[in-house]
This record gives sequence, structure tokens and C-alpha cells, in this order.
Amino acid sequence: MGWLPWGSSGDDGVKKTTGGAFESPSRSNRAKCYEARDAFFECLDQNNILDSVHTKDGIAKSKRACGQQNEVFEKNCAHSWVDYFKKQRVVNYQKEQTIKKIEAEGGEIVAPQLPTRGSS
Amino acid sequence: MPPSCNCIAGAFSSLRAAPALRTPLRNSARRTFASTHSSASPVLSRIIAARNTSYQLGIRGQKGDAAGSSQVQIKAFSSSTPRSALKTIEQVRARNKGGPFNITAAILFVGTAAGLWVYFTYEKERMARKRIAEQTKGIGKPKVGGPFDLVDHNGNRFTNEDMVGKYALVYFGFTHCPDICPDELDKMALMHDKVTEKCGPVLLPLMISCDPARDNPAVLKEYLKEFHPDIIGLTGSHENVKDVCKAYRVYFSTPKDVKEGQDYLVDHSIYFYLMDPEGDFVEAIGRNFTADQAAKVISDHIQDWEKPLKKDRWT
Repeated sequence: MGWLPWGSSGDDGVKKTTGGAFESPSRSNRAKCYEARDAFFECLDQNNILDSVHTKDGIAKSKRACGQQNEVFEKNCAHSWVDYFKKQRVVNYQKEQTIKKIEAEGGEIVAPQLPTRGSS
Repeated sequence: MPPSCNCIAGAFSSLRAAPALRTPLRNSARRTFASTHSSASPVLSRIIAARNTSYQLGIRGQKGDAAGSSQVQIKAFSSSTPRSALKTIEQVRARNKGGPFNITAAILFVGTAAGLWVYFTYEKERMARKRIAEQTKGIGKPKVGGPFDLVDHNGNRFTNEDMVGKYALVYFGFTHCPDICPDELDKMALMHDKVTEKCGPVLLPLMISCDPARDNPAVLKEYLKEFHPDIIGLTGSHENVKDVCKAYRVYFSTPKDVKEGQDYLVDHSIYFYLMDPEGDFVEAIGRNFTADQAAKVISDHIQDWEKPLKKDRWT
């Protein structure tokens, strides 16, 4: 309990265990979590913040600019998911930039395929 | 041993002597042929005479057996010649009137070509699938898959024996998976419906949990019913799950001792494994496949299967 003051077992939001995991990871719980995540990320986009998890500066900035959305996000998602999505945002951005860079250099991106099936 | 040794020695000496003997003989024969026929003629004439007699004998035998039939054949041949000649000339004339090409021939030609093309394309695809299925079919011990001993979402024991007779689509996941597993399970439900529509109920969708500490049968049942009622969730002891993951070459990072309510994620491989009714691995289907593409791959493999399949509903 309690790395965040509003942590688990809030009145509203998804039911969570003391460790911050979903009690039952149902479709509706996931939908709520995704919704809160998207709202938070949109706020980050508007405030030009990419990283809200790795650097102290980023964490502080994101809390200042999108504190409310972050709160909802933490409330509606499992603790591990929040961490995962925040990190994923950075990874996805880097991936996008790498692809853009390769394409700008005239390279071709070939999605990794299984070697057994070339057709489809 | 001395006699045999002598024999071999004798054979060798004769072999050695033979070429020496042959060359002068050949030379002399050539010389005689070039100069006069007289020296070779007695031998040659004798051989020819012998051949002639045998030839005559053979003919005589044949004649004696089928003298009448040969005459009949000759007669029939001689009488039919003018008629058949007439026929062919008429045919040739008729053909020449329209030239060498006509519409029937054109249609037949194009039709045959199209038919052959379709057939060969189909066969090529079928052979490619067969090659994949056979490549991956392990010799002796299967390379992917194998025996396991788990518990299904109703709490009943479920082993690899329960997969026999049906194609199985095996997926590894865990209920607390943030985004990929739910998407993939939705896709699995779609794939299953499409394949069932096309091939009947011959596909067994399995979801093996990589997180046995949290995913007990009840949790799995609750979780999977939101995706598809046919998907069977499997879990078990940490050891058994580790074994099945190893058998399917699935990497996973489940912590062994977790506290009650602890929150963590499990990294794991995200392939669908298609297993044939004998429990052998056929093909892995990755995330890059859409539900339609995957369903096609699976149905094609099922249609290639020639042995009997269990069509009854899985219970």
C-alpha cells in the first residue's frame, strides 16, 4: 500500500489488490484503463512531454502539467500497467523516429516475418 | 592354396599376354582387309553362313506357325489402304478450308492453359504447405510441443492426450497482461470462428497461462468467457507450467515466489502454435497475421489433413 497517496482501494476506479494489481482484469476494467491512459497521453502530447517515467525532470513536469489525468490513470490501471504504458510510450516514440530516419535515408522497412511463410 | 594361387597367376599372365597377342592380330587383320579379302573371307563367310541358317530357321518356325495369318494381314492391309487414304484426304481438306485455327481449338487451348495454370498454382501452394507441415513434424521427438500435465479452467486435468484427434491452436498468456494478450485473444476468437465456419469444429483453442501464481482455474474461466466460450484456459503448478513452456520453446519470466496481491508483469513469447491432430507442431502464427490471414493458414492446413479428425464438440 501506498507509494501514491491516492493508491489502491480508492472509492471510485477499478478494484485492486494491495499490491496494486487488478483484482479481476476484465474487459471493462481494461477499457477504463485504456481510456485513462489515452487521456493522460493526450495531455502529455499537448504539453510536449515524452518521458513521464524515466527522468526525475519528466516525472515532475508530467505531474505539474497533467497531475489530474495521471491520478485517474493510476486509479484505473494496475500499478504495473501504468509503469508499462509510460515506458511503452517512450519506446514507441523512439521506434517511430528510427523508422522515419531509416525511411528518410532511403532504406526500406521490412516487418519481421516468419521464414516459413512468404505468401500472405 | 597353391592351386588357386596358380590359377590367379595363370589368369594374370593370360591377361597380360592377351593385349600383346591382340595388337598384332588386329594389325594383321587390317592389313589383310586393306590388301585382300581372301585371308579373312573363310572366317567371315562361315559366320555369315551360320547367321543365315539361324535366321532361316527362325523364319521357318514363324512361317510354320502363322503362315495363314500373315497372308490375311497382308490382304487386309492391301484392301484398307485406299479407304483410309480417302478418309484422311477428306479430313485434311475439311481442315484446310478453315485454316489450322478455329474457335474450338482456340477455346480448348486457352481452357487447357488456364486449367493447367490453376492446377499448378494450387499444387504449388499445397506442396509448400505440406513442406512446412512436414519440415516441422519432428522425427522422433517433436521439436515444439510434447507431453504436459495441466489443469483446465474447470479444474479438470488436461494433458497433451486431450489434444489428440483435433487441430489445436496454442497460445501462451496471462490474465494480467496489459495490452497484447487481450488483443491476441480477441484475434484467436475470430480465428476460431472463421475456421469452425469453414472446416467444422475441428480446432481446439488453448490458452496456457504463464502466470500460474495468479491464474487459477476460476480466474481463467472468468477471464476467458469474455473472449470466447470455446477457449480452454490451462494452468498448473509452477513446475508444470515451466515444463510446458520449455516444450513449446516459450520464454517467460514469471517470478517463482510472489506475495499475495503482488503486482507484476510476465514477459512471454506471443506466437500462436498450430498443432496437428497427432500433437506435432505445424506452424507458428505471429502478430503480423490478421485474423483472416491466420484463419486461412489454419483452414488450409486442416484441409490438407487426410487422416480422420474428431468432429464432435469438445467437452
